[in-house]
Order: sequence, then C-alpha cells, then structure tokens
Amino acid sequence: MAMEITQFLLAAQSADARVRTEAEGSLKQFQEQNLPQFLLSLSFELANNEKPSESRRLAGILLKNSLDAKDSGRKELLVKQWCAIDLALKSQIKELLLRTIGSSVPEARHTSAQVIAKVASIEVPQKQWPELVGSLLSNMTQQESPAHLKQSTLETLGYVCEEISHHDLVQDEVNSVLTAVVQGMNQAANNAEVRLAATKALLNALDFSQTNFENEMERSYIMKMVCETACAKEAVIRQAAFECLVSIASTYYEVLEQYMQTLFELTAKAVKEDEESVALQAVEFWSTICDEEIDRQEYDSPDTGDSSPPHSGFIEKALPHLVPMLLETLEKQEEDQDHEDDVWNISMAGGTCLGLVARTVGDGIVPLVMPFVEINIRKPNWRSREAATYAFGSILEGPTIDKLAPMVAAGLEFLLTATKDENNHVRDTTAWTLSRIFEFLHTPDSGFSVISPQNLPRIVGVLLESMKDVPNVAEKVCGAIYNLAQGYEDAGASSSLLSPYLTEIIQHLLAAAERTDGPESKLRSASYETLNEVVRCSNLLEASGIIGQLLPVIMVKLGQTMDLQVVSTEDREKQAELQASLCGVLQVIIQKLSSKDETKPIVMQNADQIMMLFLRVFGCHSSSVHEEAMLAIGALAYATGAEFAKYMPELFKYLQTGLQNFEEYQVCSITVGVIGDICRALDDKILPFCDQIMSLLIQNLQSDALHRSVKPPIFSCFGDIALAIGGHFERYVATALQIMQGAAQVCAQMDTLDEELMDYGNQLRRSIFEAYSGILQGFKDAKAELMVPYAQHLLQFVELVSKDSLRDESVTKAAVAAMGDLADVVGEKIKPLFSNFTFCGEFLNECLDSEDDDLKDTARWTQGMIARLMVT
Amino acid sequence: MADDGSASNRRDPIKSSVGNVAGQRRRQQAVTVAKERRELLVRAKRLCRVGTNGGDDEDALVENEMMIDEEQPVLEAQTIKAVEELKSAVQSQGKGAMQKRVTALRELRRLLSKSEFPPIDAALSSGAVPLLVQCLSFGSPDEQLLESAWCLTNIAAGKPEETKALLPALPLLIAHLGEKSSAPVAEQCAWAIGNVAGEGEELRNVLLSQGALPPLARMIFPDKGSTVRTAAWALSNLIKGPESKAAAQLVRVEGIVDAILRHLKKTDEEIATEIAWIVVYLSALSDIATSMLLKGGILQLLVERLATSNSLQLLIPVLRSLGNFVSVDPKAMLTILIGGENTEENVINVLAKCLRSEHRVLKKEAAWVLSNIAAGSIEHKRMIHSSEAMPLLLRLLSTSPFDIRKEVAYVLGNLCVESAEEGNARPRIIQEHLVSIVSGGCLRGFIDLVRSPDIEAARLGLQFIELVLRGMPNGEGPKLVEGEDGIDAMERFQFHENEELRVIANSLADKYFGEDYGINE
Repeated sequence: MAMEITQFLLAAQSADARVRTEAEGSLKQFQEQNLPQFLLSLSFELANNEKPSESRRLAGILLKNSLDAKDSGRKELLVKQWCAIDLALKSQIKELLLRTIGSSVPEARHTSAQVIAKVASIEVPQKQWPELVGSLLSNMTQQESPAHLKQSTLETLGYVCEEISHHDLVQDEVNSVLTAVVQGMNQAANNAEVRLAATKALLNALDFSQTNFENEMERSYIMKMVCETACAKEAVIRQAAFECLVSIASTYYEVLEQYMQTLFELTAKAVKEDEESVALQAVEFWSTICDEEIDRQEYDSPDTGDSSPPHSGFIEKALPHLVPMLLETLEKQEEDQDHEDDVWNISMAGGTCLGLVARTVGDGIVPLVMPFVEINIRKPNWRSREAATYAFGSILEGPTIDKLAPMVAAGLEFLLTATKDENNHVRDTTAWTLSRIFEFLHTPDSGFSVISPQNLPRIVGVLLESMKDVPNVAEKVCGAIYNLAQGYEDAGASSSLLSPYLTEIIQHLLAAAERTDGPESKLRSASYETLNEVVRCSNLLEASGIIGQLLPVIMVKLGQTMDLQVVSTEDREKQAELQASLCGVLQVIIQKLSSKDETKPIVMQNADQIMMLFLRVFGCHSSSVHEEAMLAIGALAYATGAEFAKYMPELFKYLQTGLQNFEEYQVCSITVGVIGDICRALDDKILPFCDQIMSLLIQNLQSDALHRSVKPPIFSCFGDIALAIGGHFERYVATALQIMQGAAQVCAQMDTLDEELMDYGNQLRRSIFEAYSGILQGFKDAKAELMVPYAQHLLQFVELVSKDSLRDESVTKAAVAAMGDLADVVGEKIKPLFSNFTFCGEFLNECLDSEDDDLKDTARWTQGMIARLMVT
Repeated sequence: MADDGSASNRRDPIKSSVGNVAGQRRRQQAVTVAKERRELLVRAKRLCRVGTNGGDDEDALVENEMMIDEEQPVLEAQTIKAVEELKSAVQSQGKGAMQKRVTALRELRRLLSKSEFPPIDAALSSGAVPLLVQCLSFGSPDEQLLESAWCLTNIAAGKPEETKALLPALPLLIAHLGEKSSAPVAEQCAWAIGNVAGEGEELRNVLLSQGALPPLARMIFPDKGSTVRTAAWALSNLIKGPESKAAAQLVRVEGIVDAILRHLKKTDEEIATEIAWIVVYLSALSDIATSMLLKGGILQLLVERLATSNSLQLLIPVLRSLGNFVSVDPKAMLTILIGGENTEENVINVLAKCLRSEHRVLKKEAAWVLSNIAAGSIEHKRMIHSSEAMPLLLRLLSTSPFDIRKEVAYVLGNLCVESAEEGNARPRIIQEHLVSIVSGGCLRGFIDLVRSPDIEAARLGLQFIELVLRGMPNGEGPKLVEGEDGIDAMERFQFHENEELRVIANSLADKYFGEDYGINE
C-alpha cells in the first residue's frame, strides 16, 4: 500500500534549510528501509492529478534517480534493486506511469515519459515488459485519444528508442513504432506539439529502421515525410526534421542518391534564409556527408582487400553550388563574437564545413574559393576581410602542396601584415590561418616548407610581436609557434633553423603565460603547451644550454604555486591547474634532456629538488594525486635509473593513492604506467614494494567500479614487474595467471558488432600477451618450469586470436611474440604441445607474409624458437 | 537523455585553441615513449640467449633451414631495390628518417643472410658499401650501427674480391670496437673484422696498420658473453700469420695473457675454443708469448681441457697448442708428465683417448703431440713406451689413413732412438724400445711408408729400416726386413731422382744385403 508522502516532497523543496534537511532525511530513510513502497508511493504521487505540481516533479526526479545513475557501479546496483522488487508491485508502478502520460498536466506527462524509458531500459532487453510497445501504440491508434496523449506517447516512444537497442524489438514492433511515429508527423492530421514530438521520436527511431530503409517504398515515404516536415511552419519542428536528415546522412548514406537533388535544395534554402538554429543543422547535414566520404576515402586507401562501402561522390557533384553557399555563411559573423571554444554559430559551422569539403575533394575546391578570398581580403568591411581569411585558412588541409604552395607563398606576406589589422576578429583569424599554414605547408622533413632561411626572421618577429596582442589573438599565435616548431622536429640532425630564436621565443611564451588579462587560463595553458613543443622539437645539441636555464625557472615557478593563497575550492582548482601546466613543462624538459648522455647530468643534478617539488605538489591535494606530476615522475625515473630507489619510500604512498583513484581513472591509468617506468629504472630494487603494488593491481582488475580502459595497462604492468624482478615473480604467478586467463575468456565472448568494445578487446588481448611475454622472459634464467602448467592455455588463447579475422595487427604481433617466448623460455617440456597445436605453422606463415616488418621479424624469431625446440 | 531538447548535432569548430589538443597529445606521447621502452627491454631479453650460450651458429642454422631459397635473379633484384631504398633513407632527413634507415638496413641484411649464395655481388655493384659506411657514422643509433655492421659482416663472408670491397668501412668498424660502443654493436663489428682478417695476409696487414688489434684484444677481457667469443675468433684470424708481428703485438697488450689463462680455466667451452686458437698461433709465432704462457701454467690448463672435454672443436686447438709448447720446451712437459703420472690427467692417457677417438683430425693431432713428446728426453720416451698408447699406435700404423700413419711413424721412430746430440751423426738406438715395437708388428707399416710417393714418409720408413737393420739383436734385422719385402721396397730407390733417399737406400742395400748376404746361412 502506497504511503502519503506529499508533505515530505514539498518540505524537501522548502526555502528553510532545516525543514529541507529534515524532509530529505525522512525520504532517504524511507527509501533505504522500504524501497518498493517508496517507489510505489512516488508513482502514486506522480500519477495523481490532485497533487501540487512541485511534489509531482520531485517524485518524478526521485523515481528517475532510483533507476539510473551516471556512475556505472551505482547504476548496476540500482538495476539489481529494481529487478528484486516484487513483480505485482512493479506492474502497479508501470501501470501508474503509463496512466500518467495521459495526464492533463504537461510536466507530469513529460516526467513520466522519461521514467518509463528508464524502466524500459532495464526491462525490455530482459523481455519483462512485453506489453509496453503495444500499450503505447494503442494510444496512437485509438480515435478518441486526445492530442496531448499522442504527444506524450510519441515522446515516450522516442525516449524508449533512445534507451534500448534495436536488437530488443522484433521487426513487427519496429514497423508499428515507425508507422505511428511517421503518422504523427502528418501535418494535416496533427497539431504542432504532436508533430514536434513525432519528429523527435523519429530521430531516435532511425537507428531501428535498417530494414525499412532497405525497402525503397518505405524509405521514400519516410524521406518524403521528413522533407515535408523540414518545411513546417514552426522553426523548432524544422530544426528537428533537419536533425533527422543529419542522422540519416550518416546512417543511410548509401541510399541517399535519389534524394540528393531535393536535399540540396532544402538545405540551401535553410542555410540562406532560415533561422540560425535550423541553418546550423542544414550545414551539419553537409558536414556529415563529408565525414562519410572522408571515412570511405581513408578506408579505401590502403589495399586491405576488403570491399569498401560505396562512395557516391555527393560533395564532388554538389561542389559548384555547395561552396558558394558555405562562403556566404562566412560573412554572417556575430558582431561581438566571443572567442571561447564553446561558441558555435553559422559562420563557424560554415567554415568548419568548408574545411571538411576541402579534405573531401582536395584540389577541386581551390579555384572555387580563391576568387572569394582575393575579392574580399582587402575590402574596408572587416566582415569581408575576416571571411576571406577564414576561407583561406579552412582549405589548407586537403588540396595538394603543389596546388597550395604558390598561393600561400604569394599570400604569406599579406597575412603577416594583416596581424596588424585594426579589427580583433581579423587578427584572430589571421593568426589562426598562419598556424594552419605552418601545420600543413611547413614540413621540411618531407622536403617542403613555405618558410625559408630568408623569411624566417620576419616570421618569428611578427609572431613574437603578436604575442603581445589581446589574449584571443595571442592564443592563436601560440598555435602558429607550436606548428612552426613542430615542423623543425628532426629536420636536419646537425642544426635547427629555429635555434637562434629559442631564447626569445621562450621568453615571450613565459611572459604570455604570466598574463592576467585573458579569461580563465586559456592563454596560459596554450603558452605552456607551446613552450613544451618548442622544447621537445628543439635541436638538443644547440638548445641544451637554454633548456638547462629554463629548468630552474620552471622549478621556481612550481615552488611558488605552493605559496598561493588557497581559500576556496576555486583557488584550489586554479592552483592545481597551474601546477599541471608547470609539471607538464618539467616532464618535457626531463624527457628531452635525458635523451642524450651529454645532457642527462643536468637532470641528475636537479633530480632531488625536482622530486621534492613533485612530492610537495602531491601534498597540496589531499584527496587525489596530481596527474601531471605523476607523468613527470615517470620521466624522472627513466632519467635517474636505479638511483630512483632513494625516492621510493616517500613516493610510494602517492603511488598507492594513485592506484586507488577509481573516480579519476586517468590518474589511475597514469600511475600504472609510471609503475612500469619505475620497474625499468629500478629492476629488482622494486622488489620490496611489489607485494603491495601487485595486490592493488589485482584488486583493480577485479573491480567493476574501475573504468575498463585502465585494465589493459595493468596487464602490461604485470609484464613490467615480472621483467624487473625475474624469478621473484614466482609468488604472484598463480594469481596473476588466473586473472589473465579469466580476462582472455572475457575477450573471447565479446560482442564483435560493437566497434568500441572490439577496440577495447584488442587492447586487452594485446596487454594479456604482453603480460605473458614479460613473465616468461622474466623467468628465463630461472623458474621457467613454473610456466609449464600455463602453456596450454596460452597456446589456446593464441589459437583463438589467430582465428579472429578482426584482430588488430598489434595483437597479432603480441600473440606471436608470446608464443615465441614460450618456446624460447620453457622449451623441452612443452615440445609435445607445439606438435599438437597445428595452427602455429599456418599462423606464422600468415605473419611472415605480412607487410609489417616488425611483425615479420617477430614471426621469424618465433619460428626460429619453435624450430629449435622441435629439432633438439 | 535529451531532456532539454537542445540541438544535439554540434561538432568541434575548425578554429580551435592549441592548448587542449596539445596537452592530450603530449600525454599520449609520454605513454607511447614508455611503451617503446618496454618493447626494447623485452627485445633485449629475447635476444639475450644468443649471448649466454653463444648459440648464434645454432640459430643461424635453424634460420637457414627455414629459408626457402628464392630464385637468384629475384634475390638480386630485391637486393638492388633494397640498396636503392637505403640510398633514399640515407638522404632523407628528419622525422622518421632514422626508422626508415633502420628498416632499409634490416631489409638488406635479411637479403644478404637469406640464401646459401647471398647476393653480395648485386649489393656491391649497386653501391651498398659507401651507404653502409655512412650508416656507421659516429653518433648513429645502436640499431642502425648494428644492422649496417651486420650487412658488412655478410659481405665480408663472400669471395676474396668481395671482402676487399670492405676496405673503406674498416676504419669505422674498428672505431666501433671501442669500450664506448654497446656490446652488440662492438660484437657485430668484431665479426665483420674477423671475416676480413680471415681473407688473407694483405687484409690482415691493413687491419693491423689501422689499429684493429688492441681494441679487439681488450674485448676478450670480460668473463663471459658472446662478445668475448666473437672477439677471440676475430683475433685469432688476425694473428694467424705466417708473419709473426701481429702475435708479437698481441702479447704486448697488457693483461692479455691473464685473460687467456682465465678463459681456459673457465668452463665455457665455446669461448675456450676460440681462445685456444689464439694460443695455437701465439705458441707457433711468438717466443715471448710462449714463455709467458708457459710461465702462467698453460700446459696444465691445456691438459685439463684435454682430459675433461669431449668437444672436437675445442680439442683440436688444444692439442695443437700442446704440441707447439712441447716442441719448444720439453722440460716443462716432463714436469707435467711426471706430476700427473698416476692421475686421471695423465697426459699420455689423455692423448691415448684422442687416438681412440672417431675423429681423424683428432687422432692426427694427438699423434703429432706424442711425436713431439717422443722427441724429448729418454724419460719422455719411456713414459710413452710404457703407456696404454703403445698398442694404439701400433695398430694405427697399419690401419689408419696415410697422414695419421705418418704422424704415428714419427712417434714410434722417435721412441727407438735417443734424441740427437750435437756432433753425433747417427742417433743411439734404444734397443729395448726397438725390439718391443718391431715385435709389435710395425715393420710392415714402415716398409709401406717407404713405398709411398711422399718423400718425407719414405725417408721415415728408410730411417726406421736402418734402425732395424742396425739395432736388432743378434743381427736378425736384415732377415726381418727381407721377410717384409723390404729389399724390394728399397730397390725402388736405386735410380730415384731424390739423391738423399737414393743414397740412403743404396748404402743400406749395399751394407746389409750386399754380396756377402746370406752366405753365413
């Protein structure tokens, strides 16, 4: 029997904190003591039209939060709790929810629709709510259904489709849902609310419509309805219809040919004259077509032998009309356009789309854009100048260097001068265009650069001058310097053209990082990241002195962050951010200097102090471990080698904390990586810490709460530890191998249709093989016999992988290598196994035929190991 | 869930700030660097077996067996292409250039190791050597050095004129032998140099004049590893003479004698084998080396090796060294002979073991050592005569191949006479030995030697006949000789073109089988 809880729900929203807290406590207690009753009471509240809308709203929110959570661990718990509830009681709740979508109160209907979708996400896949779809559809087919019921029903259908997968419905259900939705879009029969709900529902139902889109009649009907809706009177409906077209463009690219003429006209009209929200979706339609065609082109390029999906060349065909349409949008800048990354408007969308078109068609775009650039770039109106520059910058990726080089060479001086334009937007876009030029037309490495020893002084001069411009421009200039420096990476082993300017560049970047006139920390982080790239790409022989001087400067700056006044959480965040940037710089400096024997001593001399700083950074943050400091410690471990042992006693607790940080899983992942670095630095001196490290790593692997992306690095880390401590790994073998076998099992059962999951599966398999390799090679000098019991499983795992045609090359390599390690290390005792596993030879032959030299080498080595075993 | 119904389709603008992406990229790079280091480490471990048990021959063998011989023209075309690749990789600069060079080098090396008839000619004529030399330049990454040295090693293993093509590479190969190089690089360079040195005196002289010897010598100082073995092998090739100056230079390298003695003492047979070859050449070519090694107690070490090893590879140079030492300093041998008389390491018994061996070379070398010992003092001779070697020697004289028979004949002959003293034209016969040896049935064997076309063997035979004729008691010599068709054998020399043998044979015939022969009967 449901309880009356209206009072608590209202009190929980009281302005009086005491009342509020007390009510929240009561609700929480109710929830904990009797969840089924709690949910039932909430449903009653939500369903009851007599109740105040405030209490109904909170009831809906609480219901939703009892069924779903962002955190995957919590979500799993909620699902379990729901499933455990008595069936009859659950039916009662579901009944109430379905009744509520017919309520006259719009908010209650809306909330209920969301809750129904949450319940559906749990129950439909388990086939526990078979009547749901039927009951919703009957709302649509009954003559007497009021418009608001149809509207909510369509909204519910949309949400349900979003929550479940298309495997969860049978084709008949899909057909009925689609029919109901498309009929809801019918202009003649329905009011605007219903049509909007229907159009939004279609967006979610499109993923379900594979079969229907294969059938030309059904497909054309759906397309006709969407196109009609795209011309609706109401802008929100038009926008929703265009969103459907975007989704169709990516999901059903193959069947669009016959509609392209109509679609072009429709989108062109919207881009030209419709409201911005609609125009943005129309541009997005073309961007999506570009995505599809670029994907197909990239898929096509290496002769993989697979038949690539068809490429219809829509962009190529539409080019003469498409490009002018996009160019027109560029002149619709906002007057006082903010330069934040989250600004999105028609001119930005147009430029972004233009860039994609350039990548799709290459050289063909150049003659269509250049006249626009030439006419507009000198006009008195800033909009014209900015649009011209933006257009030029957008098409620098895609066309060939041969095509672009003469124009860029001719325009470079103009752009350098334009960094002094009177208009902020123009300067901003000019600096960005320069950065694009250096990104795509400055690759001395492959033999071409628009930059010569003659114009370099002028370029650097202009850039450094512009570093003093307003923050948004300075930030774009950072990008230009970043790409400039990157072009000189490795160019000429003996000398870098940039070396003479390093001191000045670094000074300007440090000064920019100190500026306080910009919003938040954007300019600072851009400056420091650019500094990092400048250091990383410098010629070490020429720059060692300068980098050696930079090191203490950064150390002092990092030291100063400890003295910042920290009162609020905001202060704390700012401090952490600044420390992140500075630790990042230290990481790059350490890595750079330790790459050559001549400069390593500079790191060694400062190692103690650097380490002390990192420990103090850790000390600043009680709850978590600083990610960037951890990364820099990895670099330091490599630089110092075995001497790193002296830092371990103090560092160790932070490593432990890092390994236990499930919330910020990147921190955990980086810590795992750093443990690998330390293993390589310390070798068996890591031994005293291994018990604790291994037990944490094993706990992490067994936990469902830890983000899965951390698990592959942990397996690799097993290998690192085993290599470092050799025979001492004996004590962990049984546990480690058990988990490795378990994980291998999981890999074997993965859904091969889920691309993201397969990607993870590949990482996981590779890391398991790496663990095997590390453990085997670690046992090489002693204890190899410990691996005899696991040989069979390893070979079975390799066999399984060898038969998977979707496996990644890197997985193949790791598998072959592990097989070779087995033969190399364990030898004689497992000889019969190799004779039993007949797949080996075939697999090796396949690898020997590979294009990949590394793989061929590995396979040859493995073949040698096995042959040696078989011959003796 | 699209609660708020806001526009869902939004992408990142093309115009964005450098900060975020750059930071991500940097962190990604850090992860990649760690991954590369892991791979390097595992690779080093995988290759390590080659170092610990010196199994490269074995590996190479396995690898060769697996190679399918490709058609020679195909191989040559591939080689020419690989050299072209290398050329472009050497010219390219910057990002990825290093990797490109290593890949190109690896491909070339692979082709050069591929078949029984490696396409060296194709590699040379398409200009590989100057490129490889360029890849050996100082400061290049180890992998690159290793691969180019490997290519050169394979080229050096070719025909003489192909080996000579390496001349421009020698200075750099030698330079990378230094302590500053990593062990695999130094080893590969040593290998290449060993191949060059093996080619002939002329190239050996070039190597010596460019200073190859001292760094190579220092490479054998460490206690173990494939590097020591390869360096020792190369070193032995370098000093093998016939000129003695290299050997003389080697003894002057400080610590070399200690290193040699140390390696001979250790159990690693593979290293000991190469070291023993160095000892062979040193003992043959340098008196100073010989006396230093003897002073260091090398005989004892060699004898121990002889007693404990079953490796043919090792026993051959050990035997040869022993022989060299004995001939130079018989007294030292005697000390050992007497010292070890009743132990397992009794030299003679150990040599007897070799005589019993299946291996022809081993038998021959052992016989040669015995003949050197037998040429020593009367004590030496007695010791051999009373040893288990005697029946073996007697049997070998009648059953073994010619070259062994000849060595055995030397032993037996030496046993029957006292060593020549000055002014004493004809050696004094040790009758006891002569009688026992003749009664052991050896005369037939000697007479067979007389019939051989080999002058030296024939002389040996005639000399022994002389001993029998002169030394057998009761003048039964001539009868014995006649009984074995000795007269007939000697008559073959009546008109022989070699004057010395003709004179000996004729005078023996005159003296013992003249007109008076047979009258007394």
